[in-house]
Amino acid sequence: MFDNLINKSAAKSPWLFHINAGSCNGCDIELVAGLTPRYDAERLGFRLAGTPRHADIVVVTGPITAQIKDRVLRTIEQDPEPRCIVTMGSCPASGNVFKDGYPYAGPLSKYVDVDVDIAGCAAKPETVLEGLYQAAQILEQKRKAMKNKGGQI
Amino acid sequence: MFNWMWLFYILVFPGALFCFVGGTLLNGLDRKVYAKMQQRIGPPILQPFYDFMKLMGKETIIPYEANKPVFLGAPVVGFVALVTIMLLLPQFGFSAFGDINADMIVIIYLLTIPAASIIIGGAASGSPYAGVGISREMVSVISFELPLVMVLLAIGRKAGGDGVTFSMKAIADYQAANGAMICQWSMIPAALAMLLVVPCEVGCHPFDVAEAETEICEGPLVEYSGAPLGVFKLNYYVKQLVVSGLFAALFLGGKGTGIVAADAVIFYVECLVVTFFSMTLIRASLARLKVEQVFKFYWTVVAGLALVSLVLAWFGL
Ligand code: SF4
Repeated sequence: MFDNLINKSAAKSPWLFHINAGSCNGCDIELVAGLTPRYDAERLGFRLAGTPRHADIVVVTGPITAQIKDRVLRTIEQDPEPRCIVTMGSCPASGNVFKDGYPYAGPLSKYVDVDVDIAGCAAKPETVLEGLYQAAQILEQKRKAMKNKGGQI
Repeated sequence: MFNWMWLFYILVFPGALFCFVGGTLLNGLDRKVYAKMQQRIGPPILQPFYDFMKLMGKETIIPYEANKPVFLGAPVVGFVALVTIMLLLPQFGFSAFGDINADMIVIIYLLTIPAASIIIGGAASGSPYAGVGISREMVSVISFELPLVMVLLAIGRKAGGDGVTFSMKAIADYQAANGAMICQWSMIPAALAMLLVVPCEVGCHPFDVAEAETEICEGPLVEYSGAPLGVFKLNYYVKQLVVSGLFAALFLGGKGTGIVAADAVIFYVECLVVTFFSMTLIRASLARLKVEQVFKFYWTVVAGLALVSLVLAWFGL
């Protein structure tokens, strides 16, 4: 009975969890800028969650370094389904300027399915909001798919 | 003697359904006003409802270390306790379970159960962050308990005439006869103290030491996900309604209109006003306190205010 409502709510209340995977701090600042009163991500329901267990969208910034790779994957695993993985900035998608560095452990998409790539170095808050909004729509699709598969809720 | 009316009271008004709808709406309005104070558009008023619904649809992960029945049962216990408090609060002339002697003492005990459910649930999850969180939660319970009891004693003495009354009904009757408690000058310090007890009891922003999400990852709630987390969030919304309702019942009573529905609306508006002054305003203007600051603040300033009223009431003023 409530399924429709739950599916709709999934898109309206996406909570974020932010992982810094060796970023230069540029993207982290821009993500926080998207949450400030000026851009006001809360009007779309976004909220920064304190722990991956509460989150719907995992935002990864920075190139995935060899040191942090396992931790990032483990943190993503701790996130309950349905979840979306968003990479922010050019770093997690391509390596950017860190590409030839010895600690670079490859793009995130090598290890997990990435749902949305937000481009830019650093990505602008407007782009971030746009990308996160798309991720929220994908969440709704995922929730529907999960229900149809008869997965646990 | 079983009365069918009781079922309606418990399930619909002023019980579970009223708490659910009223609580989520109250929290939504609170967040909207909070956003306006920061000059942003803010979330839709139904946002808490969406949050709750979404959490109901998420996967529930139970950690390997956790004690499953306690981990899942704790949030429900907290919710039931809150609904029970709502049933005991008189709304002007109307009160669901009318003439119970000494229900104020029951309310004091019931008010600690939501906090206890957070503590127990956190302890059952077996996470070290929850460990830090529950120790902080205990400190905040101890901090607001003393001023709260002193405020209730002062009111009981004031309304009791010669003795001390512990009946919410007697307090409501006293206010119906003599006007709202907040208009008595000797009760104004107690009202201020109670206004400051409300946010700590609810655990909202400047006093949310236990759930400091930037320091200890939401403390006791760190391992919760999905439906149990949803119920904990719901507890938070309902706690806002119930504790501001307690303030309204204690200080803003009166004759009312005599019509239950109209009284309920006035009561709800009073809850909104209390929420604005005690939670939204303080939350928007202050940064989070440290644990020991909370403790010190409540046992000196707030308890001092309550003591002033208690002494005045004892001398019959
Ligand atoms: S994309 Fe650019 S700004 Fe963002 S973390 Fe990489 S180097 Fe820094």
